[in-house]
Amino acid sequence: MIQMIKSRLDQFLGRGQAAVTVPSLDGALKPNNLLEDAPAGIEGDAPDNIVLFKGQPLWSEGSRLFLGRDKTLFSQVESDVTALAVSRTGDLAVALLNGDICLLDDSGLRKKKLDGPVINCVTAMVFADPETLIVAIGSTQNSIADWARDLLEQRTSGQLLALDVISGSSRIIAENLAYPAGLLMKADGSLIMSEAWRCRLSEVDMTNGQVIPVMEDLPAYPGRIAASVDGGYWLALFAPRSPLIEFILREPVYRKAMMEEVDPEFWVAPALKSGYSFHEPMQGGALKQMGILKPWAPTRSYGLVIEVDDRFVPKQSFHSRAGGKRHGATSVLMQDKWLWVTSKGGGETFSIDLGQMLSSRRVNNDSPV
Amino acid sequence: MARASTLEKLRYRMVPDHLIGEILSKKWIDNAIPFLVLIAVIAVFGSLIPNFFSAGNLEILSRQYGEFALVCLAMMIVIVVGGIDLSVGSNFALGNFLTLALLNIADWPMAAVVPTVILACASVGLVNGVLIGYLRLRAFLTTLVTLIIVRAIVDMLLLEYVQSMSMSFYESPFWDLMGMGGVGSFPFSFMVLIVIAVIGHVLLTRSRPGWRAMAIGGSRKSAHNIGLPVRSTVCATYTISGMLCGMAGILYAARLGGAGSDTGMGLEISALTAAVLGGNSLGGGRGSVVKVLIGAVIVLVMANGVLRLGLNSGSGPMVLGLTLLFAVFVDVRWLKNRDKLLSKVYVSPTLVEMPEPRATTEGALKVNNRLGEVEIIGLGEVESPEDVILDDEDYLYCGTRHGDIVRFAPPDYKTSEIYAHIGGSPLGMTFNKDRDLLVCVGGMGLYKVDRNRQVSKVTDETNRSALSVVDDSRLRLADDLDITPDGRIFFSEATIRYEMHDWPVDALESRGNGRIICFDPKNGKTHTVLRNLTFPNGICTSHDGESILFAESWGCRVSRYWVSGPNAGKVEVLIDRLPGYPDNINRASDGTYWVAIMGMRSPALDVALRMPKFRRRMARRIAPDQWLYPNLNVGCVVRFNDKGEILESLWDRQGENLPMITSMREHKGWLYLGGITNNRIGRVRLTGMSEDWSSVESYWGPLADQGEKS
Repeated sequence: MIQMIKSRLDQFLGRGQAAVTVPSLDGALKPNNLLEDAPAGIEGDAPDNIVLFKGQPLWSEGSRLFLGRDKTLFSQVESDVTALAVSRTGDLAVALLNGDICLLDDSGLRKKKLDGPVINCVTAMVFADPETLIVAIGSTQNSIADWARDLLEQRTSGQLLALDVISGSSRIIAENLAYPAGLLMKADGSLIMSEAWRCRLSEVDMTNGQVIPVMEDLPAYPGRIAASVDGGYWLALFAPRSPLIEFILREPVYRKAMMEEVDPEFWVAPALKSGYSFHEPMQGGALKQMGILKPWAPTRSYGLVIEVDDRFVPKQSFHSRAGGKRHGATSVLMQDKWLWVTSKGGGETFSIDLGQMLSSRRVNNDSPV
Repeated sequence: MARASTLEKLRYRMVPDHLIGEILSKKWIDNAIPFLVLIAVIAVFGSLIPNFFSAGNLEILSRQYGEFALVCLAMMIVIVVGGIDLSVGSNFALGNFLTLALLNIADWPMAAVVPTVILACASVGLVNGVLIGYLRLRAFLTTLVTLIIVRAIVDMLLLEYVQSMSMSFYESPFWDLMGMGGVGSFPFSFMVLIVIAVIGHVLLTRSRPGWRAMAIGGSRKSAHNIGLPVRSTVCATYTISGMLCGMAGILYAARLGGAGSDTGMGLEISALTAAVLGGNSLGGGRGSVVKVLIGAVIVLVMANGVLRLGLNSGSGPMVLGLTLLFAVFVDVRWLKNRDKLLSKVYVSPTLVEMPEPRATTEGALKVNNRLGEVEIIGLGEVESPEDVILDDEDYLYCGTRHGDIVRFAPPDYKTSEIYAHIGGSPLGMTFNKDRDLLVCVGGMGLYKVDRNRQVSKVTDETNRSALSVVDDSRLRLADDLDITPDGRIFFSEATIRYEMHDWPVDALESRGNGRIICFDPKNGKTHTVLRNLTFPNGICTSHDGESILFAESWGCRVSRYWVSGPNAGKVEVLIDRLPGYPDNINRASDGTYWVAIMGMRSPALDVALRMPKFRRRMARRIAPDQWLYPNLNVGCVVRFNDKGEILESLWDRQGENLPMITSMREHKGWLYLGGITNNRIGRVRLTGMSEDWSSVESYWGPLADQGEKS
């Protein structure tokens, strides 16, 4: 009873749970243009997940997989690829939009389709060991293309599954997750998961499914995670949080009406790209003044990649700000000194020379990391 | 599309939510809490005390009230300038004693006694004034000292003369009238109070000395810095305070005819309580006669009420003390939170159901990129050219947010000069028959720049509407204008509730806050012709001159208003369901019209327009930069005809050069484009339009004399 009164009061006054504050981009997350200004990469049609395969970057674009800097077609599968994983022994697992999970051989041909249930909305996969594939299911209620709806409906129907590659048998590790969108096996064998709608990273106990947050209150919705060569991690955040969207998330009546009447492209919701149509909702600060869109303007899409150390303390970040092109970074990969990023919103896969950046930063002695 | 319920629509049509904020923004709302306390006090004591409302009791009360309120006024006038006068009680006693002494012992006539006593008391005030105003002593200590000294003097005089005073008894009809009579059923002292109160109110609110006193109380240092005579004004208020005490003393003497050592004892506390309880700020700068009158009634009713209830002797001061504490508490809280409360409740969105917009995927409104290849004029030289206009010699004029009118020279428009400086934000422009440039200036009104570049005001106020709460006589946001063949100037005022730079808040409200106003040069009168329009923006006289066309931005429609002919006074919607927000309208060469579309409707905002509570919460919870706006990062110009048919559209679909086009002007085969958020003017070649048509000539014909134009 008291709780109910308190929540109603909060709602009326905009306090507590009803507050719409968003963590600021500060410290190591201070905005820059490193993502936007990186050298031109490889144009593509919504590149999504990038992994290291046989020493080369391999990424998905729709139903095709491409390999390496010269973008050779590695494989063409029958349905859109939603997630990739490579095992220690070099097996490549591919999750498809139609619900299948397959293993491909070195030439890109299908080696095996995993038996077991049809699994929709696979957002990320990782091999725990060569026989066990951990699969993150973003939502059991919405398809992967409807991720924005899943957020607006405030679903927490995501799951983690452990699939036996050989037998095809599956086991639920954890459920009631708010859109798990990235997975990573730490060197010590523990599992890290990003939960997009809860804006946090957690460690998952694979035996009992216990979820322990390790990094909370992120300023954007976290996607896939990759290991860094020096022991830390890279995190791709695919869309920004904003006070307006936080506010909308507390307005069920408006949200429902909007979802019913408005084309999903034009919802007040985070997006992988924005600013291309005048039907999109515009926020006050995004009004062009004297011909210029302010880079700190409120935006529905953003490009953000964060490096954290092994204790999940942010070390540095790469941004593509409001009005930029390289928005909606869904996946990162570190290959030697190269940081590969797939910008799904900007339709580009590109790499940043971290070695060069580090040395130039030493020379300029600016930008504290 | 889902619809809002009829009940909800009715509620938003009938309940004027916006009035709450407007009432709260008024100065007199400060009196609301004291007034409520007054009602409560009267209700409580009225029900506790038998015969409270009887004529006799009311007469006694009002007779006392006349004296008491004068003392309270004396207190208020010094509080307003940031001081305090503790000597009012003893000064009052002095006045009372002097009156009786002069009448009874010295046998002076009434006509001599009254001014003498007032002057005597004024001189006590003057001493205070000189010490506090000129010698800069602390008001509290100084008047405390005067309180003691004057009280001591009165006591000494009483000791000396009280015997002889009680021996004689002065009698005259006028003295009796003062003490016991009155005008009609109103006691004499009450009538004096009314007269003084009216004079005081006018002085304080409508006269220069009153404003100065307020300003000094608000901030003594600032008042000094702007050159107000701080010292003399402060001194004068203490003197006036003394005079008022003297008057009250005379009335008291007339009523009771006796002097004692307890006369006026503790009166300063009661007067202070009354002044603060009424809402006069102890810090100064905020006070009024009405506040004092309310406070005085409360204190008087309570003091008398406690007495009449027969409570023991300490309870009177106790009630008074607690009341003072309460009053100070409320005063501080109210002052602190009033603006916060106002900013929370002022914005009051209303329910708007937007009709399905016309398609932009096909037909005349189909999106193209005809403004992609635009020629840029004055990039970086002008900021906020809301409107553009060309004269007979092809010079191009625009306003800027610096308050300038900038002129570009033909034929290439590469050189510019500041043609005139008006100030404010020049918006819509037009030429009259004599080629004077008439400009609507946001924040100022309607201005004229003649051919010698002299700037003069045409009008900045209109008739105040009978039932408006906010003062809508001043023009806040004159937006666009046009002239009819008979010389009348019709101009739009986009909103009466917000200043120019708060236009997004008006968009959030989407209520009919705007109006169209007419200025008639024949009699110099300005009057409002159409009210409750949803952000009226562009105005254009039709080609036949019988009507004006006006755009209502947030209503997404263009309407026609007949100004002459058989239909005069009638309004009809010409184009509705526009996919965007129309801005300025101007004539096209082939008998049609151009209308600038400053931004497009986004479907998500259309849904929000149906939900006023949602929008209100949005306004409260998140910063204006984060609000959902109309999508203004797109440029579009549409041509339509007198029948309201849309003929063609020109788009800058990515808003690269011309986002938010607010105005366009056709001139000799080119279309010139301005935008209020832009730093450039665009022009684009038109195909199939007349090569020698100019807008100004279409109104007034070719210019007769080509003489003095500089």
